Amino acid sequence: MNTFLKHSIAIIGGWVCLCISAATLAADGQLKLPNFDGLADKASESVAITLDPALLGLATRFLDPAKPDEAAAREAVKGIKGIYVRSYKFDEDFAYPKADVEMVRKQLTAPGWQQLVQVKSRKEQQNVDIYILVEQERANGLAIIASEPREFTIVNIVGSVDMRKLHELEGQFGIPKLELEQKKQQ
Amino acid sequence: MSKDFEQQLRDALRPIDPEEGFEQRVMARIANEPTRSRRRITRWAASLALAASVGFAAILGAHQWREHREQQGLEARRQLLEALRVTGEKLDVAYQAVNREAPPADDESGA
Repeated sequence: MNTFLKHSIAIIGGWVCLCISAATLAADGQLKLPNFDGLADKASESVAITLDPALLGLATRFLDPAKPDEAAAREAVKGIKGIYVRSYKFDEDFAYPKADVEMVRKQLTAPGWQQLVQVKSRKEQQNVDIYILVEQERANGLAIIASEPREFTIVNIVGSVDMRKLHELEGQFGIPKLELEQKKQQ
Repeated sequence: MSKDFEQQLRDALRPIDPEEGFEQRVMARIANEPTRSRRRITRWAASLALAASVGFAAILGAHQWREHREQQGLEARRQLLEALRVTGEKLDVAYQAVNREAPPADDESGA
């Protein structure tokens, strides 16, 4: 086998591996989040959370089942493999790179991702998009992109997402409890 | 013959004065060279000290590792609760928008 052929096989092999790993990354619901490290200095408040399966498992072990909010959290994260949150608040309008947020949004056009809710408020200039990754009729990932002039948040949950359990967390951790059923009845 | 032999023995075993400084040399050598028992005790003590320091290091290491793991776990727990708080907050915004009664046409769209 000549050298040219060997090199060609190596390059093609490399590309195949790269494509397979990219497809796997997309398929498991994990988004490629841009590096927002530089924004933390500019932001008045910042939250950057990366909980991979190992850390998530460790965190779950430290939740106290005797406390109702922590017991609910333990239930909510069952089946979840990773949680990635980036949230920044600024003192001035649009201090964050919109292109980076759009780059994340673009990844949600990949097959499997479905837009669940889109909220656009012109008055408050608030956009909230909720996407789920549907695989074999099950939600295997969740993405939330929320942006306002002075704030943006990206949430990516990887794994089997139970929206009902996440919704049950309302009223815990200082989240106001919504009385959806009552409102519907009215 | 027996007298000769006796004489030879006497000659051989006659008391001879040691060279000058012999005693000092012997005493110095005794002081420098530990005795067998002293050497054994020293070896035991060294082994014991080594084992004790290895055991102490292992206990200290395990304690520090457990402490580090606990800190890591508490930090991960804090991050998990914070992540769920942020997620819930954003879901809340969406739920509120979806359930808002009769939104003005130019205010809300696409919920």
